[in-house]
Amino acid sequence: MGKALSWLLGGRKPLASHLLLAPASLWLIFLLVIPAGGLIVLSFAKNGPYGAIVWEFGLHNYARAFDPKYLPVLFRTFAFAAATTVVCLVLGYPLAYYLTFRAGRWRNALLVGLMVPFWSSCLVAYYSWMIVLGKEGLLNTALIRFGFLSEPIGFLYTPFAILLGLVYFYLPFTVLPLYASLDKVPRSVIEAAYDLGAGRWTAFWKVTLPLSLPGVVAGCILTFIPCLGDFLTVEILGGPRYYLLGNLISNQFMMAQDWPFGSALTSLLLAGLVGGLWLYQRWEKA
Amino acid sequence: MAEPVSRRSFLKAAILAPLMPALLAACRRADDKRVVNFFNWSNYIGKDTLPEFTKRTGVDVRYDLFADEDEMFTKLRAGARGYDLIVVGDYLIPRFKSMNLIEPVPAGTLKNLDNLGPRFRRPVYDPDETTVPYLWGTTGIAYNKKKIKKAPTSWWDLWDPQYKDRVSMLDNVRDCISVAMQLLKIPQTTRDPEDFKKIRELLVKQKPLVKQYSSASYLNSLVAGEIDLAMTWSGDLFQTARENPDLDYVIPKEGTYMWVDCLAIMRGSRHRADTLRLIDYLLEPSVAAGIANSVRYATPNQAAQPEVDKVLLKDPRVYPTPALMKQLQLHHVLDSEQSELWSQTWADVKVA
Repeated sequence: MGKALSWLLGGRKPLASHLLLAPASLWLIFLLVIPAGGLIVLSFAKNGPYGAIVWEFGLHNYARAFDPKYLPVLFRTFAFAAATTVVCLVLGYPLAYYLTFRAGRWRNALLVGLMVPFWSSCLVAYYSWMIVLGKEGLLNTALIRFGFLSEPIGFLYTPFAILLGLVYFYLPFTVLPLYASLDKVPRSVIEAAYDLGAGRWTAFWKVTLPLSLPGVVAGCILTFIPCLGDFLTVEILGGPRYYLLGNLISNQFMMAQDWPFGSALTSLLLAGLVGGLWLYQRWEKA
Repeated sequence: MAEPVSRRSFLKAAILAPLMPALLAACRRADDKRVVNFFNWSNYIGKDTLPEFTKRTGVDVRYDLFADEDEMFTKLRAGARGYDLIVVGDYLIPRFKSMNLIEPVPAGTLKNLDNLGPRFRRPVYDPDETTVPYLWGTTGIAYNKKKIKKAPTSWWDLWDPQYKDRVSMLDNVRDCISVAMQLLKIPQTTRDPEDFKKIRELLVKQKPLVKQYSSASYLNSLVAGEIDLAMTWSGDLFQTARENPDLDYVIPKEGTYMWVDCLAIMRGSRHRADTLRLIDYLLEPSVAAGIANSVRYATPNQAAQPEVDKVLLKDPRVYPTPALMKQLQLHHVLDSEQSELWSQTWADVKVA
C-alpha cells in the first residue's frame, strides 16, 4: 500500500510527470475516492420516509447487514465466484499455454480473438446467450435435431446459465495475466531442464508451472473479485432463486430505496476485498 | 524508462484544453432549441403520436425509455437532469411529491383536461391534480392456451406446483404484495408486522415455482415458450398476443386492482410551455384514442371513446362494464411507513 501511495504521489519524479499523472489522479480522486468516501458516509445515515436520507449517524445499517437471512446469499456468492475462478483457470491455463508456446504466428490473431467479445457490452453478450440457451434456442434445437433430446431443456435461469455467463465474461481476466507470466518464463530455463534429462511433464511440473504461479494468482484474483460484485449475470441469465450479493445491493438502491443500507453492504464488501488483498500481499512478501 | 514528452505534443494539449469549455457551451446552446424531453415506459405510445406533434408544432420530442419503474425513480432521484415530462404510476406519485421531483401542472392551463372521464378527475392518489392521467389498466394472469389446458381462474393458480418453473411474476412491489394481500384477505391499510410476515411467507412459498421476476422480458419468454403462466399488465399482454395468438389474459375471480399511469412535469424543467403543450396534445381525443389503440391499454379520455377500436371497447378486460367498473378499485394510497413495509417485504422475498 505504502509503495502504491508513493508511486501515486510521484515520489521524487520531476514536475512533468506530476503533470502527466494529474489527469489519472484527478480521475481516480473524482470517480473513485470521493464516491467511495460518500458511500461510506452514507452507510452510517438513516433511511427516512420514502427513502429520503436522514443524516443521523449510527451503526444500525451494519447491525442489519449481519442478519442471518443474508448468509445464504453470501455463501452462494462465494460459491459462484469460486466456481467461476476454478473453471476459468482450468479452461484458461491450457489456452494461455497454447498461446505462449504453440500458437506461433497465429498468436496475435488469437489474442485479438480473445479480446474481441470483450469489446461488446456484456449486456449484448448475455442477450445473445439467451438466444442460444432458450427453450426454442440454438442449443435445444440442435440437441433435438440430432436426437440427443426429445423435450427442450430449460437452460435459462439455472445455476448452469449463471456459471456459463460468468465464465464467458471473466475468462479473459484469467487468461491475460497467465499469458503474461508464461511469456516471461525464460525458454533457456526450460531447455536446461530438458538438457538435464527432464521429460516434457517433469519440465512442466518442476519448471514452467512454478514460474507461472504469479500469473495464476493474479488471474484468480482478477476473476474472483469482480465476480463477488456481479449482479447483471444473475439479473439476465439467472433465476430468482440465485440472488447474489450484487443483486442484494442493487435491490437496496433500486427497489427497496434504502440507500444507507445498500451503502453499508457495499462498504462491507469493499472492506472484505481490501482486507483480503492486504492479507494476500503480506503473505506474498513473507 | 518513460519517454520524454515532446514539446510539441505538450503544446498541442495545452492549446486544446481551453477549448473544452467552449465546446461544452456549444452543447448547451444546442439544448435551447425547442424540445421536450420525455421519459416513458417502453411500448407505451403510438407510432405516429410524437412525429405528428413535431410536425404540428415544430417542437422536437427527445424520447427516452425505461422498463422498470423502480429503476426510473432511482435514476431521477440520483439526479438525472434534463427530463421535462415523465410517466409515473399512481402509487409512486406521493413518493415523487415528497421527494420534490415533480412540479404541479398549473390549474387552468390545459384546455383538454375536461376530456378525461369523471372517474379520473381529482383521484385519491393525487387529489390536487398535479399530474394528468395517461393510460390505465389492470393486473391479471397471462397464459398460453396451448400449453395450459385448464384456463387459470384464480391467483392461486400461480401457486400451483404443477406449473413449476413455468411461472413468472411481475418484478413490482405493488402488484406482488397486493395479490398476496388479496389471497390472505389482509386489507391494504395494514401496518401490522405480523401481516407482512404472512405476506412474505406466502410469496417465498411460491418462489420454487417462479422462473423469473420480470416486468418486461417475461413477454419474450411467453412468446418463446420459456414460461406459460405469468402475472401481467393487461395491455402488455394484449400487445404481445398480436405476435402469439395462443396467449390470453384473464382477470382472476378474486378480482384485481386498477392502476393509472400519469403524466408529470419534472421539477426544474426548462421547457415548461412546450411540455404543457405536449400534455394538452396527448389529451386530444383522436391522439389519446390512437395511443390506446396501439398499446391496448384503456384510455381515461372519455371524449376519445368514439375513436377507440370497437374490439377493444367491447372487451370487458380492457374496458370493464359499468357494473364491473364500480367494483374495480384503485390501490390504497400508502403513507411512507406503509410504503417502506411493502418495499422491505418485497426485498426480503427477492433475497429469500
